[in-house]
Amino acid sequence: MRQLNRLPTAGRTDQNKVLNFTFNGKGYQGVAGDTLASALLANGVDVVGRSFKYARPRGIFGHGPEEPNAIIQLGSGAATIPNLKATQVELYEGLEAASVNGWPSVNFDLMGLIGAFGRLMPPGFYYKTFMYPKKLWMTYEHFIRKAAGLGSSPTERDPNSYEKLNQHCDVLVVGAGPAGLVAAREAARTGARVIIADEQSEFGGSLLASTQLIDGVPATQWVAEITNELGEFKNVQRLPRSTVFGYYDHNFLAILERVTDHLGISSASGPRQCMHRVRAAQVVLATGAFERPLVFAHNDIPGVMLASSVSTYVNRFGVAPGSRLVVATTNDNAYQTAIDWHHAGRSVVSVVDSRTGPSGDLVEQVRALGIQILEGHGLIEAVGGKRVRKALVAPINPEGSKVTGPVKSLACDLIASSGGWSAAIHLSSHTGAKPVWDETIVSFRPGESKQKERSAGACRGTFGSLEGLREGASAGAEAAKLAGFGSGEVQFPTPVIDQIIEQPQQALFLVPHNKATSRAPSQFVDFQLDVSAAGIELAVREGFESVEHVKRYTALGFGTDQGKLGNINGMAILANALGQGIAETGTTIFRPSYTPTTFGAIAGRDINELFDPERYTAMHRWHVENGAEFENVGQWKRPWYFPESNETMQQAVDREGLAIRNGVGILDATTLGKIDIQGPDAAEFITRMYTNSYLKLAPGKCRYGVMLKEDGMIFDDGVCACLSENHYLMFTTTGGAAGVLSWLELWQQTEWPELKVYFTSVTDHWATATVTGPNARKVIAKVCQDIDLASESFGFMDWRDGTVAGVTARVFRISFTGELSYEVNVPAHYGRHVWEQLIEAGAEFNITPYGTETMHVLRAEKGFIIVGQDTDGSMTPADMNMNWVVGKNKAFSFIGKRSLERSDSIRENRKQLVGLKTLEPSAVLPEGAQIVDDPNQPIPMAMQGHVTSSYYSASLDHSIALAVVKGGLNRMGDIVYCPAADGSSIAAEIVSSVFYDPAGERQHV
Amino acid sequence: MSKLNTETVSSESPLHYFSKISSHPVSSSQLFNGDLEFGVVAKEISLGCQLNLRGDVSDEQFVTGAAAVLGVALPTVPGTYQYNSDTVVYWLGPDEWLVTSATDAIDLESSLRLKIRGHIAVVDVSGGQTLVNLRGHGVPVLLKKASGYDFSSWSGALPGAGRCVQTTFAKATAIVANRADGSFDLIIRRSFSDYIAQWLLDAGQEVGCRIESC
Repeated sequence: MRQLNRLPTAGRTDQNKVLNFTFNGKGYQGVAGDTLASALLANGVDVVGRSFKYARPRGIFGHGPEEPNAIIQLGSGAATIPNLKATQVELYEGLEAASVNGWPSVNFDLMGLIGAFGRLMPPGFYYKTFMYPKKLWMTYEHFIRKAAGLGSSPTERDPNSYEKLNQHCDVLVVGAGPAGLVAAREAARTGARVIIADEQSEFGGSLLASTQLIDGVPATQWVAEITNELGEFKNVQRLPRSTVFGYYDHNFLAILERVTDHLGISSASGPRQCMHRVRAAQVVLATGAFERPLVFAHNDIPGVMLASSVSTYVNRFGVAPGSRLVVATTNDNAYQTAIDWHHAGRSVVSVVDSRTGPSGDLVEQVRALGIQILEGHGLIEAVGGKRVRKALVAPINPEGSKVTGPVKSLACDLIASSGGWSAAIHLSSHTGAKPVWDETIVSFRPGESKQKERSAGACRGTFGSLEGLREGASAGAEAAKLAGFGSGEVQFPTPVIDQIIEQPQQALFLVPHNKATSRAPSQFVDFQLDVSAAGIELAVREGFESVEHVKRYTALGFGTDQGKLGNINGMAILANALGQGIAETGTTIFRPSYTPTTFGAIAGRDINELFDPERYTAMHRWHVENGAEFENVGQWKRPWYFPESNETMQQAVDREGLAIRNGVGILDATTLGKIDIQGPDAAEFITRMYTNSYLKLAPGKCRYGVMLKEDGMIFDDGVCACLSENHYLMFTTTGGAAGVLSWLELWQQTEWPELKVYFTSVTDHWATATVTGPNARKVIAKVCQDIDLASESFGFMDWRDGTVAGVTARVFRISFTGELSYEVNVPAHYGRHVWEQLIEAGAEFNITPYGTETMHVLRAEKGFIIVGQDTDGSMTPADMNMNWVVGKNKAFSFIGKRSLERSDSIRENRKQLVGLKTLEPSAVLPEGAQIVDDPNQPIPMAMQGHVTSSYYSASLDHSIALAVVKGGLNRMGDIVYCPAADGSSIAAEIVSSVFYDPAGERQHV
Repeated sequence: MSKLNTETVSSESPLHYFSKISSHPVSSSQLFNGDLEFGVVAKEISLGCQLNLRGDVSDEQFVTGAAAVLGVALPTVPGTYQYNSDTVVYWLGPDEWLVTSATDAIDLESSLRLKIRGHIAVVDVSGGQTLVNLRGHGVPVLLKKASGYDFSSWSGALPGAGRCVQTTFAKATAIVANRADGSFDLIIRRSFSDYIAQWLLDAGQEVGCRIESC
């Protein structure tokens, strides 16, 4: 297809490199250097989407991140990205894109039928219409999202990779337009580490479309020279295609670099995008400004564009998006567009200026070209369907509030409008700086800086080229100085650039129509979300006064463009409707992200197996090789059970449990937290942490204890062993290890610094194999000759140093199964060796490896609690029927003691730990099930408690459960019920929480 | 207690199972291919022992006693380490150091306890962590991927001055230290070492990453 709007002048493109692409299924050609938007304009594609609410046809309006209409879905399948702006997508061979909105096609849109009834959809339409009945909201939402065209997410795995880099620099310069480039050069010269990032494909910013001379050479050549100059500094990192999308606390900024996006979706190697997480000592913001469109009737018809965008397409891309141009302006600046258009060989019908007697340099140039200037006029309405056909103009009063004469029609196919410029204060606003309205420049300026940043150039409201260059250079030098580099003096001479004398602009936001706003054809403020001037005025009539409320009610600025074009016009119209100034009406706070960011870049490589670290024990490979199923415990992978051939989990757990009760089993207990505690006050400190006392614990002995938080509630438990005088080893739960170590350090450092005690984590140092069951001693005896294993010399709750399978070991006689147990601890390098030797030694006793599930069943048979499963942070030791672990006569208090006396802690009817035995032996209660006395009681039933642990016990040939029941310890023998969701219920008897070997004889042998 | 018989006792370093595993942009095989260039070489280094030492620097006999036994002064400047040919002492905190030494752990621990009176803690952590040396042109960028710490700030340090930091490494933690030859040492926890090795292979793939275990 012929590119009918392509000019002979190439601009920054390479017209010899033709690229093929498709848009909405149709094939086109563009050239290297094009954006998707410039290529579409070159091909004369007028309609690129349909509007959000009224489904009106929309065309390309801008040329950068402000674009509200050309929102596209790029690519298809797994690598597709929704909601990109065609103005920011670089063209590549084979690019496929489609409009996000507009089904079945942008040129014939079924939703357009709704558009015909636009007046039936006032602001707040969704609130007013879809609120009731509430239960239908999900249905409405689905419909609204589909109709609204929010793009579609890929449904397959993303085939691309994404990178994250942590960067540090002395000066970060955001934006590589004129101010940013000179700022970076000044900072670079001082030796400071500089990062300069710009979202466009090449540095230069607005200069890429400029016809000005700088230092006697064309602006683009000057840009190329200074960019190369920056490249020669080793301390400068240049990041084109990189959007600084968020400015966070402590001068932390996030940059999204599109590394290979411009090369095509699946062909590129390397990461698709990279997120730079930058910690900058100082920041220079040089983010430029956005041109503000004029608000007039039907200003959304394709063929209406920003004046600067028309110039950019002509000068930078060599594309003239039309033939007959009308320029509507309130300022001198837009006259440049008329000049550019004229030089492109196209016809300028007229410049419509709202001011009277304009006479700036550019105005005079336009006059000299013989172009008609209609001064004191407003362009009040665009006329056309899928393309502008004519512009209606009329004289207006000097205040710009009403039409004062007859309406005239100008035939044209392109309208360029300019209502002045708005500083891009977005990043400054992210820091919390409150923007300040400045009447003289008709724009917000960045507010007082909240961080180590300063703005320079147009984003500070300094719109003149020369002043912008001066400001940029000073800002770069100042930032470097504050970061510790250079004198703060500007080193390079200010570039030479022609001064253009401009006359003041007029602050005009809504061009009057000969009908009242409420009756005039829609005058759009926010194109993406179809917010019109009439809608804002209606919101005021309905009683909304706060800008924040009006924004939410009308959806002004809520699109993915974040109101970059519409917000200020909207606020001005609101201010006018409220009869007050813009400053009093308030401001608009921008938040990250500046432009939408992909989830891929945020996730980086932290996906799949790297999403969360998997911690392995020294015996992990053995478990894998022996067919273990694994369970996540914190970040640890622990063997869950070891199925044999076709066993189900229950069959494996039954077999493992019986093996331990009748023979011997072996468990990898490495993951338990272990803290080495040394110091003359160690015993005293430990005694303050646990509820019971350790002052008299002798070397070679162990003791079980529970720890409470200050509120008296159990938060961890475990065994503590006395290794020697002033030296202890504390075991914690697997999940609680890090928390307990922090807790010990907190109390030692902040409350009891006078206690001499040091803590060191040794969790990773030791590998632990637990050999348990009636035959455990026989197994240990085969691999350990230097410990006397006789029960009278090495009894329950003792520990001994020795050698196991040739390795120096600590062996503990502590038991979580209730059976004779030896916990063999060896330095982890020898973990697998010792484990295998134990397995070999146990072979004649059919030693059975078991996992966490069997461990849970066996401990539940014994009524041993698991903190975090049977407790939930609201259980005292008394609730757990564990008063025996609370030292009543300790000289010093212990943490949580006072809370145990609170009225709530001692009240009757607290939930207490009991056992439940189902009347039907094979019925296993669901964990978490609520317990009631009468399953037939009408809802709401009186809840008596809940099941905390529940298993089938092969040893008892019966289902067992632990539960917390109100006043349960006094309710032994009562029958309670656990209702299920299907209406059935399981009956169970309240029994002691110790089901197996209540006298505890088996672990003592 | 008896000493180990290395003929009958086998030991496995934390990266034991990563011996000769690699990732490379042009090779899909994970097996080490000596013909390829690797931008990152992660070599696990066997150490005699690693001891965690805690004590009070205002106690002069602790400072002098430790220096006498270790042959290296305790570093007191945050983020630094001191070393000689077979011992390195890393600063971990105002009252905490990591000692790596060719000496046997039990011998070194008893020498320290014998020499220093008063309140100290000496803990053998040899089994709980391992040292991985990272060398190659891809290492500086790899460190930027792994950690928010500004490692380039060390480039201004005096030649030979040891710098170290305990910091996040990917989603785990590590002690990272510079070396005079421009390479970096990582000291990582045993239970996280599989994760870190997988992470190194993934993050180093674009320049090629090879792991050698000890």
